[in-house]
Amino acid sequence: MEVTEDSDVLMARVRERDPDAFESLYDRHHRLVYGVALRMLGEGAAAEDVTQTVFLKVWNSPALYRGGNFGAWIVRITRNRALDVLRGRTARNEIEFPETLPEGEPIEDAAFAHLDAERVRRALAALPAEQREPIELGFFGGITHEEIARRCGIPLGTIKTRIRAGLQKLRAALDGAVTV
Amino acid sequence: MNPRQEPPHEMLDDVAVYALGTLPPADAGRVRAHIATCAICSAEYARLKPAASAIGLSAETTGDASVCPSALLKPRIMAKIRAEGPPGARTPAAAPGRHLAWPAYLVAAACLAIAILTSVWNVALTGQLRQVQQEVARTTQRSRSLAQTLAEERTTVSDLLATDAKHYVQGNGEVVTRGSRLYVTMHDLPEPPRGRVYQVWTLPKGSKSMVPSSTFVPDAHGVAVVALSSDARATAVVAVSVEPDGGSKRPTTKPILVVPLT
Repeated sequence: MEVTEDSDVLMARVRERDPDAFESLYDRHHRLVYGVALRMLGEGAAAEDVTQTVFLKVWNSPALYRGGNFGAWIVRITRNRALDVLRGRTARNEIEFPETLPEGEPIEDAAFAHLDAERVRRALAALPAEQREPIELGFFGGITHEEIARRCGIPLGTIKTRIRAGLQKLRAALDGAVTV
Repeated sequence: MNPRQEPPHEMLDDVAVYALGTLPPADAGRVRAHIATCAICSAEYARLKPAASAIGLSAETTGDASVCPSALLKPRIMAKIRAEGPPGARTPAAAPGRHLAWPAYLVAAACLAIAILTSVWNVALTGQLRQVQQEVARTTQRSRSLAQTLAEERTTVSDLLATDAKHYVQGNGEVVTRGSRLYVTMHDLPEPPRGRVYQVWTLPKGSKSMVPSSTFVPDAHGVAVVALSSDARATAVVAVSVEPDGGSKRPTTKPILVVPLT
């Protein structure tokens, strides 16, 4: 996907208010940000709005990035912004949304720094559907595991167990896919 | 299901859901607090969190235009970025996305200054308007006076040239009557002495006393045309004498012109 050191260098220049460095970051990551937003919101215009908001946040608050996996960090910001949009779409609080994750914490997954999207897609596709579906629904659907259980008609405990099993397999698959 | 043969732990499933980010806020707080104190759950979280974070990478779109943002998005964002100016131009108070906040006293002072300036401006405009109104009034009066003068001169010329006008010539003077209107014309008339003017006198029919009328001086060519206010039909004699400036109530010098209207 990207070289973490390069992103770290670019973010250092962004902190010095270097628009060219910011442009390089945009060129590298805009399809990722837009893709996550589009997957969560299902609407191009809303995804573009989120993409713009995310990159302006990168420019305005570069100190929030404290190293680690830049791609995972910007995905976290994107997911939080998309969750805000989903919350705004719900007129009544019938659905409890997941917690918004802290954006200033480093993601200590440097081992996955060299992952690309295709490897992750293959690893996810290799999961059993009963594990992949609740994981993807939870990550991109912006709903809680309780809502997943309700929609799938599956006991809550079963959903939690399947999510954990799926993440364990995903971790194992990605460990083998790491190229340094 | 558990390849690492971990000891049973009722919280491990919750830790996985927490790592995926799908716990409601209240449950997330509880699990987070537990992870901070439980080595087993902390290790499980450290193992699963990177995998969960990597899921988002799978959503990266390809070069297919149907799943890419508009080509206008980047210019729009870069325009906002570059609008900040060069490095160092950005100050905390003017951070992007934030409006510059003025202290309340500055806002109040600005409002007061604007109010004062507006009042002064209004006063100035009112004064200017009053001056313009006065000037318009003066111009209107001058126009009316000029129009009246032109009308009178037109009437005079018309009367003097009318075929039915009566002309009583004597020396370098002439009295002209037309109906009730009465005129005195003079030519080759010298400038009166300093402090003196020419004055017209009329003698009403049946009267023995001269009545003072208009005063005048000739133009540069020695010509004077004077329209009198007396009724020509009730006037017996018209005379002209040299009098002190401002005129006299009775003739003080011998008349230079005496014209009986008979």
